[in-house]
Amino acid sequence: MLFFRSEERVREWCGQHDYPMRPLVTMDQLWALATTWYSTRLQEDSRRPQPDEMRSIFAGLGLRDGFWDPQSDRFG
Amino acid sequence: MSLENQTKLAIYRHFAETGQRPSLQTVAERVGSDVSSVRDAYSRLRAQRVLALEPDGESIRMAPPFSGVPTQHIVIVDGTSFFANCGWDSFGIPAALHRPGRVHSRCEQSGETLDLEISEEGPLPCDWLFHCLVPAAKWWDDIVFT
Repeated sequence: MLFFRSEERVREWCGQHDYPMRPLVTMDQLWALATTWYSTRLQEDSRRPQPDEMRSIFAGLGLRDGFWDPQSDRFG
Repeated sequence: MSLENQTKLAIYRHFAETGQRPSLQTVAERVGSDVSSVRDAYSRLRAQRVLALEPDGESIRMAPPFSGVPTQHIVIVDGTSFFANCGWDSFGIPAALHRPGRVHSRCEQSGETLDLEISEEGPLPCDWLFHCLVPAAKWWDDIVFT
């Protein structure tokens, strides 16, 4: 889970390591994910989002690809 | 509150206060329990995916978003320096602490430095991108690689 300066840098990195290119996430989308995941982490009743909640969170940010499905078996 | 929840809070609050991982002994003292019981609680927290341990079964590698070991993702909040596990978690630290901060990281391909201010409303305008190689269903198969 890494930062890149541009889509072109991601493409180069994936090509050099023979990795598949995955959906890209903007900094604003990443902030939304970070706050959803972690804003209650220091509280007594905090818990990690469950699969259905994860799907809903990702979909709400436009991240609808099966890549983000926590129970998908489409990806090796 | 269960020992498991007390243990989780003790770990997270230690990270939040110091930027460092607590030892098993420190957590046991903080929750007023014995080391063996706290080690068992660690195992249950690992199963809940809120803790990753070193092979010794007691040193904390990750209590996401905090990292127990140095990484390339450094976050400064109120003068305290934190290591994050990944790009996502570098944003997660100001989010968890509900405080503005500054993220220092790099472009994995070019090495260019990322120095990004995070306000309480989120990052300042920035056109960098985040790329996650491992699909969500596999994240915890090898969370360190993820």
